[in-house]
Amino acid sequence: MIKTIAYKEFLQMVRDGRVKWAAGIVFCLLLASLVVGLRHYQDLSAQHELAQNKVREQWLSQPEQNPHSGAHYGTYAFKPKTFLSSVDTGVEPYVGAAVWLEAHNQNQFQARPAEDATAVERFGQLTAAVVLQILLPLLSILVSFSVFAGEREDGTLRQLVSLGVKPSHLAAGKALGVAGALAMVLVPAVVMGVIALTLLTDLAEARADLGRMLLMGAFYLLYFGLFIGVSLAVSARARSSRLALVALLGFWIFNSLIAPRVVSDLSRVLFPGPSNFQFESDIKLALQYGVDGNTTYREVEKKRRAEVMAQYGVDNVRDLPVNFAGIRLQMNEDWGYEVFDKFYGDLYQNFRRQNRVQQISAVVAPLLAIRSLSMGLAGTDYYLHQDFAERAEMHRRLEIKIINDDITFNGAEAGREYVNGIDVWEKVPPFDYQMKPVSWILGNHQVSLLMLLLWFGFAGVLLCWATRKIEVV
Amino acid sequence: MGQQKEWQGPGWLNECLAYASILGKISIEKVVKPGQQKAKFNHIPALRKDAMLEATDLSKVYDGGPPALDSLNLTIEPGEIFCLLGANGAGKTTTINLFLNFIEPSGGTAKVKGLDVTQAPLETKKYLAYIPEQVMLYRNLTGLENLEYFSALAGRRYERSALLPFFEQVGLTTEEAHKRISTYSKGMRQKVGIAIALAKKAEALLLDEPTSGLDPKASNEFSGLLRKMSSEGVAVFMATHDLFRAKETGTRVGIMKHGRLVDTMDTEGLQHTDLERIYLEHMHD
Repeated sequence: MIKTIAYKEFLQMVRDGRVKWAAGIVFCLLLASLVVGLRHYQDLSAQHELAQNKVREQWLSQPEQNPHSGAHYGTYAFKPKTFLSSVDTGVEPYVGAAVWLEAHNQNQFQARPAEDATAVERFGQLTAAVVLQILLPLLSILVSFSVFAGEREDGTLRQLVSLGVKPSHLAAGKALGVAGALAMVLVPAVVMGVIALTLLTDLAEARADLGRMLLMGAFYLLYFGLFIGVSLAVSARARSSRLALVALLGFWIFNSLIAPRVVSDLSRVLFPGPSNFQFESDIKLALQYGVDGNTTYREVEKKRRAEVMAQYGVDNVRDLPVNFAGIRLQMNEDWGYEVFDKFYGDLYQNFRRQNRVQQISAVVAPLLAIRSLSMGLAGTDYYLHQDFAERAEMHRRLEIKIINDDITFNGAEAGREYVNGIDVWEKVPPFDYQMKPVSWILGNHQVSLLMLLLWFGFAGVLLCWATRKIEVV
Repeated sequence: MGQQKEWQGPGWLNECLAYASILGKISIEKVVKPGQQKAKFNHIPALRKDAMLEATDLSKVYDGGPPALDSLNLTIEPGEIFCLLGANGAGKTTTINLFLNFIEPSGGTAKVKGLDVTQAPLETKKYLAYIPEQVMLYRNLTGLENLEYFSALAGRRYERSALLPFFEQVGLTTEEAHKRISTYSKGMRQKVGIAIALAKKAEALLLDEPTSGLDPKASNEFSGLLRKMSSEGVAVFMATHDLFRAKETGTRVGIMKHGRLVDTMDTEGLQHTDLERIYLEHMHD
């Protein structure tokens, strides 16, 4: 019986010109956004690979010079693009994709497309995620707002209920029918995505991305499912299809337009962060006077110098069997690490709190939940960005340590005149960032996942309640 | 038909029979004779066969207003066509809605084949077919698709080719069956309603002014279909304004006023003019 109801709903929607047009438009937008996203992914992946190789080549081809000059020459760490970033660009346009790794400084990220965006782009980019998170729910509302209310107005609901159809069958059949109509838009897009995945990525990467892709697909299905459930429930309870449409559009506007902005501002109000200028000024000050504001680097250096001389049993740094310049450089780095760990740590902690507010706020707007999960699985969320930034910083510290150790242990005789070349550059491994496993991603987004499941369950219960109490007169 | 016999015995016997009716042996029917404001006896039991549709003290009050239906006692047997006459707002549609369990009764019970519609809403609907003033069907589906859909939901699955004879029975051609409902006239839609009832193998029809707006020919064809179904044992309850159609089609006619069934009579031997006179008398009371 459910199949019969679903098929009839599907058939009616397919024959309805309005649904055809709306679905056609959304499909075209989804297709366009996917094509643009894939092209963007291809371009950026190629650029990323090229730049990564070029930077490594430049690093290795440095002339013989004091290794510390090499540390200042620096290198870049590029955040790898995942295939699914073609679906959801997440926070990447705002947080940047590359960071310059150099001595003494933990730099902020560069290459932020949002900085170069035109004013028009402030209205939002058309990505597949935008289509899936905002336009498809709108389409689901447009195809389902009159499913019950329209039948009540047309009188067919009396006819239907007079047959003794179980309300649960009616609800399930209609929900499946609407889902079938939406599948007409989604299935070709998913097929296209899988084909592109196999063509554009190598097998191992494709396998890893496929798992994330399937999971992302499942989460989006839950999201669409909850919209179908809520839409049908409202349609079942509303006195007219017009009222149902108004109520559902109100929900859609709140979910898609109001809640994300309000929650974003709310998270900033609850956990305000420093401005970029303030942040850099505070770091500069702390580098001079320490994290506690009462210690100078000179004092620390003096103490450390005494410790080193005691360790080697000498009275003068000139008598050390190692190059003290290397030790001092590392000492300076260690002093900086304490400052960077404190300030970046606080900043990351604040961002995480803001993110948590957004995840919890999904209790009022399911978009916030799916957005968070979608970004996470696409590898474009804040958590992965932070992880990448921390890995890049670890790599910078490793790079500087290798160079300073080289100066310390190989430059004792030459002192300030010490030079080295390819031997030391090669000791620094290339930066390689591995995508995090799904369990790590879900761990960061567990609140969002819970909220999405709660919304889905709520929509199901709401639909059952609304159809059980459906009024035909 | 006329299997229901009115009992007009002494009060003590009425009481006994009323108690006996509780045991399910005798139905109770309230009858108010023409010219009487109230029935002489509130409960005049009637001997009966197994009832298809049965209302016992059935009442409905909407939001504290006057009763839309006031203690209706009525029994309709298989093969009987009961036509309920009454002005707008008399309670005819309310009665149908109560039998379909579209609304909850304020008092009393409505039973279909002995089952209380509020206790077994899904099962009782299996026996019923409902044909409103305008049979509403899905406009962008064909007549055949509509019939296939509704009969499947009623638990009767047919091959498409097996559905075509139902169209034939109600006087629609195969070509018409394959046309979308949006191209159908009202008469054709009413016929599809009957086809649904046939395909569903309904044992009782609830019709709410089904011939309203139909031309005389279509109306006559429709009545013919009802008579044919009743001859096969289907119980028909038809609410109508059309005295002529009620007399021509029905085996029994009831008159409802302000939610009360004020009169019932067999149509056998009844003249159109008599019916009109009785009806108008009640309306002018």
